[in-house]
Amino acid sequence: MPPPNTPEEGVPAAVSSPPARARRSARNASISSVAATIGSETQGICVGSVGDLSSRTRPCVLPINYQELRYESEVDKSLECPICRTPFSVPITTKPCGHTFCSVCLLRAHQMRPVCPIDRRPLDIDRDFCKARVIHDQLDRLRVKCPSQGCDYVCPRELLAVHYERYCEGTPVPCPDNSCDLWIARHDATPDKGCLHKYTPCQYCSKQVMKAALEEHYDRECSGNTVKCAECDVDVVQHRMESHVVNDCPSTVVSCKWSSYGCGKKAPRRDIWAHEKKPCVYQAIGRLVKDREEDRLIISELRARLSTVEGRLRMSEKEKTERKERKRRQASSNVDNTENTIPAFVPDLNLSNSPRAAASYNNGTWDSPEDYMLAQFERMETQMEDLRKNIHELDGLHSMRLLNDTMRLNEQIAELGSKVGVIGMHTTWLMNVQRQSRGQQRAVGGVGSPLGAFASSSGGSGATSGATAGGVSDTLRNAPDNEGGRYYSSNMPPRRNSDGRGENPPRL
Amino acid sequence: MEDNQNSAPGNVPATKLGGARKGIEPGLNASKRLQTELMQLMTSPAPGVSAFPSADGNLLAWRATIEGPDDTPYAGLTFKLSFEFPSNYPYAPPTVLFRTPIYHPNVDFSGRICLDILKDKWTAAYNIQTVLLSLQSLLGEPNNASPLNGEAAELWDKDPALFKTKVMDRHKDIEEDE
Repeated sequence: MPPPNTPEEGVPAAVSSPPARARRSARNASISSVAATIGSETQGICVGSVGDLSSRTRPCVLPINYQELRYESEVDKSLECPICRTPFSVPITTKPCGHTFCSVCLLRAHQMRPVCPIDRRPLDIDRDFCKARVIHDQLDRLRVKCPSQGCDYVCPRELLAVHYERYCEGTPVPCPDNSCDLWIARHDATPDKGCLHKYTPCQYCSKQVMKAALEEHYDRECSGNTVKCAECDVDVVQHRMESHVVNDCPSTVVSCKWSSYGCGKKAPRRDIWAHEKKPCVYQAIGRLVKDREEDRLIISELRARLSTVEGRLRMSEKEKTERKERKRRQASSNVDNTENTIPAFVPDLNLSNSPRAAASYNNGTWDSPEDYMLAQFERMETQMEDLRKNIHELDGLHSMRLLNDTMRLNEQIAELGSKVGVIGMHTTWLMNVQRQSRGQQRAVGGVGSPLGAFASSSGGSGATSGATAGGVSDTLRNAPDNEGGRYYSSNMPPRRNSDGRGENPPRL
Repeated sequence: MEDNQNSAPGNVPATKLGGARKGIEPGLNASKRLQTELMQLMTSPAPGVSAFPSADGNLLAWRATIEGPDDTPYAGLTFKLSFEFPSNYPYAPPTVLFRTPIYHPNVDFSGRICLDILKDKWTAAYNIQTVLLSLQSLLGEPNNASPLNGEAAELWDKDPALFKTKVMDRHKDIEEDE
């Protein structure tokens, strides 16, 4: 990079000293590189090579001159470069003072004097410029005409490069002849046509004219180009004579325009004109047939349109019924939900509300089927959540109930068990009493009531129980031998009576 | 790419397909810019100044007129000027001369003008209209520090009456000759 600009570079080139000139040329190199980088970003495919014109490589099409473009409507003055007075091409803005120019214009002005062209503030080529992006976007939207000859394509400016470089048939491209360095429209650039830039003498005025420019020469410049039509006495450009005869000349014999419907009249054009004006017999039929053909076209078109509309209608109806069905199902499931829910376990308010809200949306319209499906899906999810909660709660409830019931049963069982134990003890006690009384009977001689024995032994039963144990077994074994069975049965009723609730529990 | 056209102005018309643009124009960019300026001058003229290309169809030579501003010795007078544009206009200033003889501290007797914006202070953002307006204001506010006409510079301050007479004399004299 060259050193920053020095004041002496402002002086005219004629008086600049050799070292200054050398420095300037170095700076120019850096300027052109800046221009190339700025330019290549925006101006299409071939611009990269355009930037290197000095290296003598030829771009694939003649580059667009953005300053020569014609715009569809008048461009705002604020989008015009103050230097070239055309809408900016690749605008750049000066950093210290904020003025905008075409990059090419500003860099060129900068070469002459390194100051801002508006307020003469010194500018440094490396630091003091930035891209004007907003303006660039505005420029991109301007509608512009294609610069190629004979092309009337109009498009936003940002798309022009693509049309011009790839598609436009009028774009100047390098001449197919390698030795020729001129440009030729793309539709003329075919190897079989060869180089159209060789000069040939005009066949009418013997002037040397390029082949590519021959048509234009005939039409505009050539002095001896017009000739009177032999038939109709009108001045006609010579090389247009053929088309004149075929399309225009009133003396050419042509057939009636209703010939396809049966009119067989053939006559010079001027007579045919008269014939067609004076109603040709076939004119009426011709019109009818023509109308009918047109009608048929219209009918088929309408039919196609009708079928598409019907299809669409069917689709929408189907959708509607589906939606209704879904809504109904939704509503019923909502009712079920509310019935099933136990009031003590009402789920989270938000969750229970959302399905209903979603259901109400169902009446309205959905933006798209996806939205609808999403809403449905959401609703299902919330319902699932509710159900899961309910199940959990029911589960808890169940286990609680189970626990409660079994506890009661357990208590009852325990109670019963204890009662059985008490009864068992009663029996043992009664057996003991019986054995004792029997033992006394044996000892006394069989006389005495068991009741008396009971009373007498009640005080010292604890002391005697152990001693009498062996005795009991003996008496039980011996009972069948004596009148024990009889005695046992005869004594039972009174003993049973003593077993009543009112009696004292036995002491253990 | 414009750069290329500027440096070798004759190339592009020659390389275009033959036909419409056959004549080689000097300074395509300059012509384009001058056409735009002409349009602007026609559609929105500034009061007191006017300009038009000279009759021979050469866009690089123009004729212009300035009316002398009120409250100056030049009030009521009209001055004719000539503009010669270089082929790299607007990057270089045009050469401007007073065709009508004028008695002014910064204009010499052959019509040459000493004005910084036509020399080293020129920038590419200037145009014909701004130059004419600058010249018009120069008539009312001469730069007496660097005069081309020393006598006029002296009289401007010392003897306005005499200055006015000299202005009228010189203006009339030559205009009658034309």
